[in-house]
Amino acid sequence: MVEEKKESKKNEFEPKIVGFLCNWCSYAGADLAGTSRIQYPPNVRIIRVMCSGSVDSVYILRALLEGADGVFVGGCHPGDCHYLDGNYKARRRMVLLRDILDTLGLEQERVWIRWISASEGQQFAETMREMTEAIRKLGPTPITKQWNI
Amino acid sequence: MTDKILKVKNGDVAGSVNEFLKELLKSGKVHALLVMQEVPSKKISFPVLISDPGQLNANVFAPVLPVSTASIVSKITKFQAAEKLVGVVMHPCQIRALVELVKLNQASLENIVIIGVDCLGTFPLNIYTDFPEKKIPTQFILDAFKNKSKEAEKYLRSACLVCKDPVPVNADIVLGLYGADIGKEVFVEVCTDAGKKLLDGIKLDSKDVKGRENAVKVVREDKANKRDEFVKKKSSLKGIKVLSEFFDKCVNCHNCMKACPICYCKECLFDSSVFDAEAYKFLRKAESKGLFKMPNDSILFHLGRMNHMILSCVECGLCEQACPSDILLMDVFIPAAESAQKEFDYHPGKDPEEKIPMVVYQEDEYVEVGEA
Repeated sequence: MVEEKKESKKNEFEPKIVGFLCNWCSYAGADLAGTSRIQYPPNVRIIRVMCSGSVDSVYILRALLEGADGVFVGGCHPGDCHYLDGNYKARRRMVLLRDILDTLGLEQERVWIRWISASEGQQFAETMREMTEAIRKLGPTPITKQWNI
Repeated sequence: MTDKILKVKNGDVAGSVNEFLKELLKSGKVHALLVMQEVPSKKISFPVLISDPGQLNANVFAPVLPVSTASIVSKITKFQAAEKLVGVVMHPCQIRALVELVKLNQASLENIVIIGVDCLGTFPLNIYTDFPEKKIPTQFILDAFKNKSKEAEKYLRSACLVCKDPVPVNADIVLGLYGADIGKEVFVEVCTDAGKKLLDGIKLDSKDVKGRENAVKVVREDKANKRDEFVKKKSSLKGIKVLSEFFDKCVNCHNCMKACPICYCKECLFDSSVFDAEAYKFLRKAESKGLFKMPNDSILFHLGRMNHMILSCVECGLCEQACPSDILLMDVFIPAAESAQKEFDYHPGKDPEEKIPMVVYQEDEYVEVGEA
């Protein structure tokens, strides 16, 4: 019985999400979610970066090509960037990345950028829930099946 | 607009332009010239930086582009702007690339006077050096153009077949072929004050040349149509399976990056050790995937490179020319450039004052990005 349960769990698709969170807002927001004991899915692997504007799209592409089912970028709300305009630049970069994703043939919905402040622990947890479910619906990344990538 | 012409003597177009350039050097109008000149073996023309008029043997209409001349102007002016006037003779695509490099702070136009040449297209290096039936490529392409024959098209590089604009923009003067009586005259179009100053005192003939404007319009329309068709035809080259097959032959030499005028980084991310990893990470990936192709980052390289340079891509096709595996890179890069540049309404090489989209922003744009 226990074995069976384990087996069915194993077959269920658990999305792997890589999250780039800015040090000043989103990472602190994630921290707040943790310290406030707000539950959220453990599917996101968080990488702290100094600014959402410091996330070169190449790193997002690498995560996707290495088999991540989704990539999340979290930054300060527009106008609140610690470095004044990093998130505005991240936003433009995301627009360009959508084009590259189109060439690669991956769904744009696999890459999310959201603005989460240091006080929005609840918001962070909710966003993670939302994204995990959205990616679960999309299914596993087709990249894993392609060994010549 | 055009009212000056250079009379061609004895049907020798290259020789007559050479005399004109020699005059610029001799008179001290320019201190040096960067221009295409035949190498001693006469096999190919390469850019030379020349200050001795006696040794000038320029062939500005040689239908070949072995290396990016924009990168060479960058090499010359990156650390220090030219202190004396240098004339640079360039193809239209290379002028576009130079404008982009100036925006990227990789070149200075101070004391640089751009002499643009109308481009009839260029041949791949091997076709140029061993031209069929031992014909002289320059003569061949000029004749084909004069006779309105499509014979040259079967040899042209694919980038040239769908050239974005074969007529120079942002040059100080233009040596024009479109609309000219080939073999008898070359238009000398003055576009800027610097160009006017350059020609001051240089003997040129005047002629009422109404045909130029229309001829330019016609060739631009023709090329735009061909490019549109190309983009439409190739935009199906998308998707993981198609793309991975497309890059199957890639040997990860990074020649495309080295040949690209826009890829200026001294140390490319992909040449660095950023993506190096411990053995266990490779093995773990093999375990989880079953197998994977090595080297494992060639698609990442191409997409990463695309992401870095596509907004400034001037479609010169030097990446494709440099590929030892003959991957037709333009098939993927031109449609990608078209859609990315459209997204930001950006036209590389058009306006030196325009900022590259990735360094500017507006607070109230793309607000839907970042919202649920």
